Amino acid sequence: MSAFSFSAAPIDTAGLAGPLASPAAGGFAAFEGRVRDQNEGRTVRSLEYEAFEALAVAEGERIVADAVRRHGATLGRCVHRTGRLAVGDVAVWVGVSAPHRAEAFAACREIIDAVKHRLPIWKKEHYADADSGWVNCEHAAHPAVAEFDYSRQSALPEVGTTGQRRLAEAHVVVVGAGGLGCHVLASLAGAGIGRLTIVDHDRVEASNLHRQPLYAIADVGRPKAEAAARRLADYNPGLRYVPVARRFDAELGAALLAGANAVVDCTDNFAAKFLVNDAAQRAGIPAVIASVYQYEGQLQVVRADRGGSCLRCQWPEATRDGLVGNCVEAGVLGPVPAILGQLQALEVLKLLLDLPGQLQDELLLVDLLEHGQRRLAAPRNPACAGRCVRVDAAAAHAPPATDVDLRLPLAAAVAAGYRIVDIREPMECAFEPLPVSGQQSMPLGRLLDGALAVEAGHPYLLVCAHGVRSHAAAEFLRARGHANVWSLAGGLAAQS
Amino acid sequence: MPRVRLQYFALLREEAGRQSETVDTAAATPADLYAELAARHGFRLPVAQLRVAVNAAFSDWDRPLRDGDEVVFIPPVAGG
Ligand SMILES: [Zn+2]
Repeated sequence: MSAFSFSAAPIDTAGLAGPLASPAAGGFAAFEGRVRDQNEGRTVRSLEYEAFEALAVAEGERIVADAVRRHGATLGRCVHRTGRLAVGDVAVWVGVSAPHRAEAFAACREIIDAVKHRLPIWKKEHYADADSGWVNCEHAAHPAVAEFDYSRQSALPEVGTTGQRRLAEAHVVVVGAGGLGCHVLASLAGAGIGRLTIVDHDRVEASNLHRQPLYAIADVGRPKAEAAARRLADYNPGLRYVPVARRFDAELGAALLAGANAVVDCTDNFAAKFLVNDAAQRAGIPAVIASVYQYEGQLQVVRADRGGSCLRCQWPEATRDGLVGNCVEAGVLGPVPAILGQLQALEVLKLLLDLPGQLQDELLLVDLLEHGQRRLAAPRNPACAGRCVRVDAAAAHAPPATDVDLRLPLAAAVAAGYRIVDIREPMECAFEPLPVSGQQSMPLGRLLDGALAVEAGHPYLLVCAHGVRSHAAAEFLRARGHANVWSLAGGLAAQS
Repeated sequence: MPRVRLQYFALLREEAGRQSETVDTAAATPADLYAELAARHGFRLPVAQLRVAVNAAFSDWDRPLRDGDEVVFIPPVAGG
């Protein structure tokens, strides 16, 4: 049974509903669209439907499948009439079975709306006095989806096509898809960040919705990372979204942040914020960290890529959750995390586009009752470095040194016969070319996909900006049996 | 007696029942000033949990206070 079909004969609604029954489905919803006797004040006698069936069936099946999946329904089916219909005849029928009534209603509604909007179906109304002529069923139904257009953004002289391309090549990890994260994600997806990793282990709760507009009421109970990715894929389908429905920890951080351009902390507790802070330092990438409290927010950009001050520099080690309120205990007005989240997105774009005014070694205090903003100088705390090091034996501020790391000038490595593999992203390579020639370019993501052909008998030296990614990549290749693979210790930064 | 302009954030704003105030104080340092205000407003957070900024930069708790200083006590916040 196809999920979507056309019928030239009257629709047998009872016969259609039966096959949708399932032991798992506690709810069933159906919609029947019928021919009315009135249209725009004129008396309708009958009506004719004509469809471009080859295209409409494929698109119709996609509509039903998407709605069933999106709403967690069980089965869905839609039949549309063609040919001549009399007043009162069923023109279109949609049926959906689902575990509960909410999913059944939501999916049914979505299917009929999409069918009306997207399918190439025409109708001719026969009035008492004349015919309408063939008209498209809904406004300009065209199956082709419009192209996401960044022209209003790339019109900025600081962005342009080069900046837009940089955004398309960027990878940003967002930890926490709540009040802050929803706005960060929406804004970054709108800006065209090529790859967005969404980390959140929570499920959508009804009490989240007032400040987290990425979620619909039907998403309550679903994993946030997946619901957010699905919503964003509808919004801007041209980007890559990677939902990770797991609790962020050091191990996950190391895996996800390798090769990323920035991490955005949108979590709601200090334990998590310190984890993100530390992971960013180990990966050597910037972290954009924000917090809100009732009508206020704080924003800090940890330039771990430039040795900037970090979250632990600002807050004593003793800072613990429970001492200060979070949204659950203290309450929060929706626009407050929305504004702070947008400020985080703004700082990410400033970083990626190299715009002026980037925050570093500062704490931005935002008071939304009085509309006050203060930019407080917050330099590196000399006592912190030690503390950061103690946080993790692997040393937060410096990449760990093990036997895959080689500390030597790149030119010496070339002279010694090492094959040099630059594993940085194309954007980084363009900004800071290697001081040697003859290297192979292979961004980390492709290397981890197995794209690097390692020739036995030759030593390989992997190079990145700070030696963190190349270390991970060298270990990855060693674990796959390539013993003669090395990482340039400290990366390019240690060469000058 | 130095006169300083104070701004409160988050929990301190709630406990003080105001966003800012100007006070004449005998306190010689931000630490002394906080102790004085904690007694007046019933602040519960210990100094170890806070940061203080004087004239738009984070400051040590034992720097001398001067007339006209702008002092901001900042509690950590974690909501998201
Ligand atoms: Zn630090």
